[in-house]
Amino acid sequence: MKKKVLLMGASGSGKTSMRSLIFSNNPASLTTRLGATIDVEQNHVRFLGDLILNLWDCGGQDAFMDSYLTTQRSTIFQHVGVLIYVFDVETNEMHKDLEYYRDCLEGLRQYSPDAAVFLLVHKMDLARDRDATFEKKKKDLQEQSDKVQGPAAIPVTVFGTSIYDESLYRAWSSIVHTLIPNAAVLSKHLTIFAEACSATEVILFERTTFLVIATSSPPSANLEPTRYERTSELIKAFKRSCSRVREEFHALEMELPQFSAVLDELTKNTYILIIVHDPAVETAALRLNVRMARRKFEQLQGLT
Amino acid sequence: MSSPPQPPQPKRTTSSPGLTRTKILLLGQRRSGKTSINQVLFNALPPKQTFYLEATMRISKHPYDTVIPLEIWDCPGNITVDTLGAPLSDFSALIFVIDIRDLYKQPISKLVEFIIAAYRDNPQLHVEVFVHKAEKLQEDDKIENFRQIQERVQDHLLERECEQMPYNFHLTSVYDHTLNEAFSKVLQKLIHSLPFLEDLLNIFCANSSSPKAFLFDAASRLYVATDESPVDAATHNLCCDYLSMLNAFGTLYQLPAATASRSRIPASEPTPDEPNLSATKDRFCPSAAASLHPSMPGTTLTYHLVTPQLALLALVPTSVYEGRRGLLEYNVVFFREGVQEIWEVENQARGGEDNSYKY
Repeated sequence: MKKKVLLMGASGSGKTSMRSLIFSNNPASLTTRLGATIDVEQNHVRFLGDLILNLWDCGGQDAFMDSYLTTQRSTIFQHVGVLIYVFDVETNEMHKDLEYYRDCLEGLRQYSPDAAVFLLVHKMDLARDRDATFEKKKKDLQEQSDKVQGPAAIPVTVFGTSIYDESLYRAWSSIVHTLIPNAAVLSKHLTIFAEACSATEVILFERTTFLVIATSSPPSANLEPTRYERTSELIKAFKRSCSRVREEFHALEMELPQFSAVLDELTKNTYILIIVHDPAVETAALRLNVRMARRKFEQLQGLT
Repeated sequence: MSSPPQPPQPKRTTSSPGLTRTKILLLGQRRSGKTSINQVLFNALPPKQTFYLEATMRISKHPYDTVIPLEIWDCPGNITVDTLGAPLSDFSALIFVIDIRDLYKQPISKLVEFIIAAYRDNPQLHVEVFVHKAEKLQEDDKIENFRQIQERVQDHLLERECEQMPYNFHLTSVYDHTLNEAFSKVLQKLIHSLPFLEDLLNIFCANSSSPKAFLFDAASRLYVATDESPVDAATHNLCCDYLSMLNAFGTLYQLPAATASRSRIPASEPTPDEPNLSATKDRFCPSAAASLHPSMPGTTLTYHLVTPQLALLALVPTSVYEGRRGLLEYNVVFFREGVQEIWEVENQARGGEDNSYKY
């Protein structure tokens, strides 16, 4: 996987905090200790085993930004798979932010015209009227992006995020989804698996970050729309609690009045969550199915 | 980013008017954290939202049913013994909340007044002092302030010649598990049937190879009883976190009400001619298990809901859970029946309606 994931945005907007939370499993409270990123911090993050996210966390201070856009321009903007640009919702310098953003988008168009662009409006927990603020920012950003791009526009996706709730998981799950080569194939097989288990839904998570990789085809029933990212957040938080007692979370099964669920390891870098609403299905049967499907999924991920 | 769906609140309070509730007083200065404690523990308020709570203007009596029926009196800051509206002898516990940063005279002299009144009117009253908002200070300052407050209370009581009244200090915060631990200990002092519950837990642990088990009130995450092995804070915190995770998970994948026909709780109530049958055979009891893998042989954290309010949380070696699951579930059945019997007797003794146990 040679393509880069560029993480850019103004100084103090929250780029390194996001990295710390999602990829290093640190709790949100620890991000207060992070200092300013100097120049570019390159991290090769192993994702799904063989997928390597070449994450470039670019320091946001003006001096660095100017250098990226001039002397380091080709180095930074070549071979980019995804650009993630982070905006602090509370910034006083929106004008300057937007100017830098437009310049970066220009650089991207020049060197990596096929890259996907994600805009994160971060620190949403500080915004007073979240929905209204987000809608306005989204409109502004869409306008700015349209100014730079002509007819061959790179589609831009905007998310509102905060490290204190599940919104960050939703944004990052969508981002990594674009980087997984066979997401559609995985989805198809998960749907087959769901039928075999009489399950309402089956979700595949990446083991370390617990970002959603793929899901079975959406169930006809009206389930809570934010359930994926909230599951990521809940499990991540529980894993952290376990590590505080020097234990390591392994698997979970539950039989609740509303549904039954099994969360277990599928391959060495994925977890599977099976949700069943049929009261006749036993969790032991689900676990057996997971065991039997393991080989197939390892094959799909190129692990065998 | 949308607010989480509100779970369908289980009926937390019985409606029988004759029920004698154990009353707990929440006192302290303005903005010390009384309402915050009440709301976070007994009304599922997320700790971050306590910032937005408004001042309590009048006494609010909050009923809450757990292994015993409680009534928590959340009082405004300026309440005195005379303006309470009820004699101190009506209460079983008095929790005085002091903001840890508040080293001035006022809260301490208030507390002392109440202790003296309690000594006079109700020497059996459990007086507990919560030195609250501990998260606001660094470790050293925390310990220093805690010590200073304790010393001042002691000195004042000595001056007023009232040093015989027992009282306890706890360092608490809504942002971690210290509040749960402290309130759990207070709650346990109020449960007369505690020795029986502990006995049940001891027998369960002995017969299930479990090194530790708790009987938790599922919604408030307070533990009402535990077995005789020492309580290690880390294990307690893990169990609290496990319980919050399960509570939150429950609402995520539930089907909307229209399709609730797939729910497992039997919809039919026991008929009048066979009240004792109470569908024992068809009753469904929620359970869960999380397996943990450290370097030693693994541990499984099990959860069984034994009454609609109470959950048994036990650490069980994974080999026992996987190899002897049937025996474990068998033991849980007896444990459950024991707890239900105790609940029924307690309920009857307090003048509750005779509802033989039903979901």
